[in-house]
Amino acid sequence: MELANTLSQDGESGGGVLAHLERLETQMSRSHKKLEEPQSAQAVESALGTKIRQLRCLRDKLRAEVRHRQARIKASTASVAPDQTLEMSEQDILERRQENLKAILQAYRFTGISGKLTSRGVCVCISTAFEGNLLDSYFVDLVMQKPLRIHHHSIPVFIPLEEIAAKYLQTNIQHFLFILSEYLNAYSGRKFQADRLQSDFTALLAGPLQRNSLCTVLSFTYNVELKGQSFPFGARLLYKDLTTTLPTDVSITHQGMDTLPSTWEEQRAAHESLFFKKPLHQVFTSFARKGDELDVNLAF
Amino acid sequence: MCEGIARRSPASPADLWDGSRHPRARLEERAVARFHQAVSCLCLPMDSLRAEADALEAEIKALRRACVELPAPGEDTSPVRQSFQDIYQSDSEGWESLKDLRSHLGHVESELQFLSLLTGISIRNYSKKTEDLTSTEMTEKNIKKVLQRHRLSGSCHMITFQLEFQILEIQNKESLSSVITDLSIIMEPTEYSELSEFVSRTEERRDLFMFFRSLHFFVEWCEYRKRTFKHFKEKYPETVHLTKGASSSYMGIRSHSRPEFELVIVWRIQIDEEGKVLPRLDLLTKAPLSALELDKNRVIETAPLSFRTLLGVLGIEATLESLIKSLCTEEQVPTQ
Repeated sequence: MELANTLSQDGESGGGVLAHLERLETQMSRSHKKLEEPQSAQAVESALGTKIRQLRCLRDKLRAEVRHRQARIKASTASVAPDQTLEMSEQDILERRQENLKAILQAYRFTGISGKLTSRGVCVCISTAFEGNLLDSYFVDLVMQKPLRIHHHSIPVFIPLEEIAAKYLQTNIQHFLFILSEYLNAYSGRKFQADRLQSDFTALLAGPLQRNSLCTVLSFTYNVELKGQSFPFGARLLYKDLTTTLPTDVSITHQGMDTLPSTWEEQRAAHESLFFKKPLHQVFTSFARKGDELDVNLAF
Repeated sequence: MCEGIARRSPASPADLWDGSRHPRARLEERAVARFHQAVSCLCLPMDSLRAEADALEAEIKALRRACVELPAPGEDTSPVRQSFQDIYQSDSEGWESLKDLRSHLGHVESELQFLSLLTGISIRNYSKKTEDLTSTEMTEKNIKKVLQRHRLSGSCHMITFQLEFQILEIQNKESLSSVITDLSIIMEPTEYSELSEFVSRTEERRDLFMFFRSLHFFVEWCEYRKRTFKHFKEKYPETVHLTKGASSSYMGIRSHSRPEFELVIVWRIQIDEEGKVLPRLDLLTKAPLSALELDKNRVIETAPLSFRTLLGVLGIEATLESLIKSLCTEEQVPTQ
């Protein structure tokens, strides 16, 4: 063991610090042996926790010892020039490593969940996207105490944050964050579709789009063209699953006539299944395209 | 806003050892201590704890090496005696910034370690290239178009990934739009066949966040399945057989005294179109022909269906336990 060797080399002077470190280490190997005995899951977990605390303690003391020795070397450098070139390259290496690590820190936002340590805990940032479009981000400021607490957040009020926190925040924080991310991404996606419908397809809509803030109930009327005739269809989309961006219930109705001629009925049924399968604005893109095709036919 | 009493994190043990400290280093040390306190407040799965223990042990090894290389107090520091005053001057600055650098680096490392514990995702490498696609026409209209190429690699538990994606950023007067225009994913290990379909779907949809989210849930389910299989193997070692290992999708149940009868639990973890991760359990039965002939009530035939019903009522663990118990009625008391 390296520590034991340095101990014998140092004699008295180094004995104090390193002997203490060695004692810590034997303490740890004893608890490590304890870990190897068959135990219940809980006992193993708490033993792991203790081991981690001891490892951290030992690591911190070693760090301090290294710094201590470096400081003493610096102090006695008055008449000695240490290998300067070696130092410079070490600085370069450290700087490069620092740049690399800082870049990785920034890169965490691409996982959808990133965070910054704060004075009281951590501020987690959840990013959302839909079809490759990067959308809003939301944050949750957590206070690191037992029990974990949400200090404040920017989650919209209609997302069931309390429910999700009650289930997972204390027991499995990764779960809490990813489930919250699921809800937020789904909401962002539904909102994106509704916004696009309103902004890009006003020509096809026969009236305003009615929507709730959670974007789980959408109601609108749109015009369908067939053989030169234009006919309004009423659509009502329900999204009962808050974690999806596709509707769970679709009902397309006709207004006015009691029974539709068969071709119109076919269209109606086809549209219904389309709304189930594809995002809203994509359905309308295909409507718009079909319209163009029809126009071409009429021209000839 | 009432914050409650903000508890000062306890001084790190390092403070007790070293007298003279650089003020910024002290700040950095407090940040590291905060990180430790933050981690202790999280309830993390055991694998994360083990990973942390491993990382600490590796760091301790490196530090011990450093300790050995540096002369101990009392030893002769260097045989060479020179008096380059200028070099000493610049060198002392070098030492100062090096010390700062090291402690700052420690702070960044802690923050990264914390993020990796928080998300369960460990990013090892990241690089980015930016290409300005703004034409002169666009510049006149105050529009800026930039293409970013990102490369990211890391792991989530036992699965390693390599991502390459492109983000197109268009900035005009009113808004900034960022769109992922390309996504390519390489994942290992490839033994999880369920993942290859998921990967191609995710690449098609360019859904970067869904990739990580589904990966997290997939890995959690895999770990849960492994733990459950291991638990039953330990509890009923004679009856439960994991012929393909605890990480596989198969668990066999076979009575020691009646080896011709076998139940095989097939536990697959599927990722659907929306990226939702769902377990799917099926039961396969194996019985000798003579038994099937005697089975008037078609119990064996309807077993897979009954299995599904049982799952809905009892949940996974209770269902598996009841199945095992039904086959090992003659067995000795289980080892627990």
